[in-house]
Amino acid sequence: MLDTMETLCCLVGVSGGEDEVRDYILERAMPCADEIRTDPMGNLMVFKKGAVTPGRRVMLCAHMDEVGLIVTDVTAEGYLRFAEAGGLDRRVLVGKQVYVGTDRVPGVVGSKAVHLTTAEQRKTLPPVSEMYIDIGAADREEAAKSVSVGDLVAFDDTVVRFGDGFIKAKAIDDRAGCATMLELLESDLPCDCWFAFTVQEEVGCRGAAIAARSVEPDVSLILETTTAADIPGVEGAKRVCQLGRGVVIPFMDRGTIYDRELYGLLGRLAEENGIPWQTKTMISGGTDGSAVQRSGAGVRVTALSVPVRNIHSPASVAKVSECEDQYKLARLFLEEMAK
Amino acid sequence: MELAELTKRLCGLSGPSGFEEPVRAWIAEYLAPVADEVRTDPMGNMIALKRCGKPGAKLALLDAHMDEIGFIVTGAEKGYLSFGMLGGVDQRMLPAREVRVLTEPPLYGVIATMPPHVLTEEEKGRSIEPDKLFIDVGLSQEEAVRTVPPGTPVVYAGSCEMLGEGMLCGKALDDRACAAVIIKAFEKLSQEELDVDICCLVSTQEEVGHRGAKTAAWGLRPDVALVVDVTHGKTPDAPNVPCSCGKGPAICMGPNINSALSKELFALARDGKIPHQPKAEPGGNSGTNAEAIQISREGVVTGLIGLPLKYMHSPVEMVSLADMEAIVELLTAYVEGLEV
Repeated sequence: MLDTMETLCCLVGVSGGEDEVRDYILERAMPCADEIRTDPMGNLMVFKKGAVTPGRRVMLCAHMDEVGLIVTDVTAEGYLRFAEAGGLDRRVLVGKQVYVGTDRVPGVVGSKAVHLTTAEQRKTLPPVSEMYIDIGAADREEAAKSVSVGDLVAFDDTVVRFGDGFIKAKAIDDRAGCATMLELLESDLPCDCWFAFTVQEEVGCRGAAIAARSVEPDVSLILETTTAADIPGVEGAKRVCQLGRGVVIPFMDRGTIYDRELYGLLGRLAEENGIPWQTKTMISGGTDGSAVQRSGAGVRVTALSVPVRNIHSPASVAKVSECEDQYKLARLFLEEMAK
Repeated sequence: MELAELTKRLCGLSGPSGFEEPVRAWIAEYLAPVADEVRTDPMGNMIALKRCGKPGAKLALLDAHMDEIGFIVTGAEKGYLSFGMLGGVDQRMLPAREVRVLTEPPLYGVIATMPPHVLTEEEKGRSIEPDKLFIDVGLSQEEAVRTVPPGTPVVYAGSCEMLGEGMLCGKALDDRACAAVIIKAFEKLSQEELDVDICCLVSTQEEVGHRGAKTAAWGLRPDVALVVDVTHGKTPDAPNVPCSCGKGPAICMGPNINSALSKELFALARDGKIPHQPKAEPGGNSGTNAEAIQISREGVVTGLIGLPLKYMHSPVEMVSLADMEAIVELLTAYVEGLEV
């Protein structure tokens, strides 16, 4: 499970360029699948038979894409201007290592030395439009040998396990969910199930809408990650959720009011099986659930999210046990669907 | 060891101001085979000497500093570490930053960032004040208190790597890149017949006020000193900086520098066809060890060579390897020309 997740986090799949992630999943899913297809958007849909064929069509869903940047211009001096691909807090960009394009050309997000800033500049951040990537090129001509406008840019891909069972990586959002689905696919399933590995969640849940239309599920479980603000200085509900308190079963976020009955079901399954769980204490964020729920004639949707600190940054942090619990609870959910 | 490899090894070591011992020890061991004497002093400076054996020989000093900017743990709160700064840290660099907490063995940590939803409208778009940031080492409060006492130093994680065509990029290039340069120059000069004694001084605590160089210069009594430190390189958001990476060493001129010495460096660079760029240092304090050394005892003839560097005091500092090689060439040419 952890190995799968680490491998997935190291792959590059910035929204609109999920190919590397899809290729990897496709290769591993192929031998287990009863049906497998990709669609024109790039979603990967896999069907696998289980012990029983339930009355309801079940679809699990996780997104393959990650937040990143896209090159918008190469300057005469050889620097790259960029825009965000997906929602990014620009405070995590300054001075970070990045990889540009499919050849993974290394570069860094530059910012003039602190000595050259005014007191006010040190306290503010330039808009993204004024930031730039330095790939060490002397001029535009040299830069053009290895990069071009439109190249997607991903964060540094080193994975670190640290502390008391924590993991640091880029793209835990949502390779954690992809890993859960891939591991389920490679196991014997309690019931027939569709697995939708979607594209472009980070730019508006665009892939999931198409995938749901194609699979036409009755019930869908979204396997996701969610922001945790469990740091000193943030108190009460604003912490949203806390690492170490269990996998998150949300009742509502900014895109979806989750199916009440399924919310209750997941909570009950967790408690009956001794799996710690929590819910979000703030209505924030969103998932592919928003697109799946309102697809076609409507879908009953629920979600399981791994709490992640520094989400949408190169150094997101998750608790390994909570990634494993997401898998356990998803399996229990399928067992319930089989009844 | 080749210059690039040497620089990578040096940058990978952890040595924030006041806690440079691993760097000092590594360099001392590296230089021991070529030096006549390697020693340290109460400030922890790394001093390597090579004597020419001629009576009354003068002492030429090469200086670069070994310390890097960093942090120091001040306490633990809910398992997270609070910290203060060692040297001029740029607070804009901190959110979601990976660090190495220098316990024994070191711990990996991430400076946790506040997600946008907990910020007020006014706070968005502003950098976070360091007293609101904490290092996440993935431990409970009890464990954090037990394993990471206050006073534990912290540095940025990582080292440096080659980037593009001949650039080096990473942490601590200020001033380990220049330490690598003077070490290479010392290695080269130690194999030559010289008319002067030479000293390779890799000094401590530059980032907190040129402290190591102050005592080392006093103890060594050099006749002439060449300080090698980084200088700002031009970037898109700092277009008015005079020097650029890749255009050669900056030969500095100003009150903090002996003018005859800088003239000599210009002449050597021109004659040797060594790329170089002029840099004016208007103040009495160039912000480098040249300040401490020049006014040591009864005064020292002091020169300053700048290695252009982009993004100073960030974890992604950047220099040109060709510029570094040019400084090795310039330093050796200068010392070779010194007479008894």
